[in-house]
Amino acid sequence: MTSLGAAVRRAAPVFACIGLLAVWQVASLALKNDSFPTAIEAIRAIPDILGDKESLINILASLRRMAIGFSVAVLVSIPLGLLMGRSRAVAAFFNPFLMVIYPVPKAALMPIIMLWLGVGDITKTLVIFLGVSLPVIYHSFEGAQAVEEKMLWSGAAMGLSPLQRLVRIVLPAALPEILTGCRTGLVLALITMITSEMIARQSGAGNILFNALDMGQYDTVFAMIIIVGAMGICLDAIFERVRARLVRWSEPQFDMPLSFS
Amino acid sequence: MRVVPSRSSEWVNPVTSQRPASAIIEIDRVSQVFQTSARKDHLALSDISLTIEEGAFVSILGPSGCGKSTLLYIVGGFVNPTSGVARMKGQTITGPGPDRGPVFQEFALFPWKTVLGNVMYGLRQQGVPATEAGAQSQALIEMVGLKGYENFYPKELSGGMKQRVALARTLAYHPEVLLMDEPFGALDAHTRTRLQNDLLNIWERDRKTVLFVTHSVDEAVFLSDKVVMMSKSPGRIRQVIDIDLPRPRRRSELLLDPRYQKYVVDIERMFDEVDETGSPS
Repeated sequence: MTSLGAAVRRAAPVFACIGLLAVWQVASLALKNDSFPTAIEAIRAIPDILGDKESLINILASLRRMAIGFSVAVLVSIPLGLLMGRSRAVAAFFNPFLMVIYPVPKAALMPIIMLWLGVGDITKTLVIFLGVSLPVIYHSFEGAQAVEEKMLWSGAAMGLSPLQRLVRIVLPAALPEILTGCRTGLVLALITMITSEMIARQSGAGNILFNALDMGQYDTVFAMIIIVGAMGICLDAIFERVRARLVRWSEPQFDMPLSFS
Repeated sequence: MRVVPSRSSEWVNPVTSQRPASAIIEIDRVSQVFQTSARKDHLALSDISLTIEEGAFVSILGPSGCGKSTLLYIVGGFVNPTSGVARMKGQTITGPGPDRGPVFQEFALFPWKTVLGNVMYGLRQQGVPATEAGAQSQALIEMVGLKGYENFYPKELSGGMKQRVALARTLAYHPEVLLMDEPFGALDAHTRTRLQNDLLNIWERDRKTVLFVTHSVDEAVFLSDKVVMMSKSPGRIRQVIDIDLPRPRRRSELLLDPRYQKYVVDIERMFDEVDETGSPS
């Protein structure tokens, strides 16, 4: 009984996908609108896109920018967030900047960045970098702040220097929180990637989508939405696998029933 | 309050600087002021002087808010005193070091490390090779009664087991002094008694110097050679009581011993007094 329940739970996302596609199909057939192709038509267009060399190059270019923007953001944001969490002076210096940058939609900065850096890779990667940085800094900061003082004292008594304590105690202790920030950052990387390509249309997955829209190829538009969505789901699932492995030690040990179940 | 020179590190008390041969820790006219708000200063410790002899088990007993943990943190080097100085073997304490090993009420284990990983941590930090550190840690884990739990993570252990790991982790790097900050305060009564017994058994083997902060009178009497009774606001030493009970101590015998009972009753009465009246100023 329980194993059946577990199997159903694991397959739930698949059912959700099928359900959504079915609703789409029915809605599209009912509305009979040219700009709203059926799910089956959209899915049929996917192999054409993935089979086209030009489109593949575009999608891979998108992914490359996203990978670079995300990696650089994570590499910069984690140390910065941890330092801010452990040093009042560092926090006092950076907090005002972050408070100003945080609520600004990063895509809104694109026109200025384009003006200075052009419409190429650097601009788009920079926007992705900005989008990913803030949640990662914020969660690293929160995680570092929450590290028990006595844990650091224990390390100090063993002879760890301040830098060693930051790398060998604060970093692992804050890792669950940091990875929560990285997961949010990953989704934001995908969003800013597409947005940046919508604004600076030169190459990329977002460019294919909007070119198709301009030309009225609605099945391609919807196929691209499915492709981008699938990319997001896959990246998130892979990341979640890695995250769960890295912080196994911190997961709650019993499955507590939820309050409303 | 007495006027204490502010440049405390250069200041030498002519009386206490001649340290007795057996003294390991000297607390020399230490005061600690905490700023609670912009205008109000809270005097947590006022002019504390105390000498702890090598190999002694000394408990600091007092009501909450008397600064007993702060005093321990000053000896640990985690907190710098506002004035006065603490010395370890004649050297002024300026920061934490592996000669003084803390054990905290909150355990403060590294949750991402297994039991073995936690116990090995200090040894690895000191450059002991992994196999050697592993073997030593294994022996300590067995000594604290956790054989078979080497690969468990802290979250999988009960409070009592966590504190056993914390004790083994600190003992592993061979500190000369153990600084125990209400180590059994978060445990239930039964676990607490078992850990007290085990601590005494372990301590009676090598008689390391122990500074033990507690607010439990019978815990202090049962474990200690000396009980330092503190009073609060401001934190001061009210009295130092020598506990003249034979060792090795067995709980079952001690509870029936009239001398033990008298110590507990007397100190409890004193505790009530300081808790009600605070420090005479």
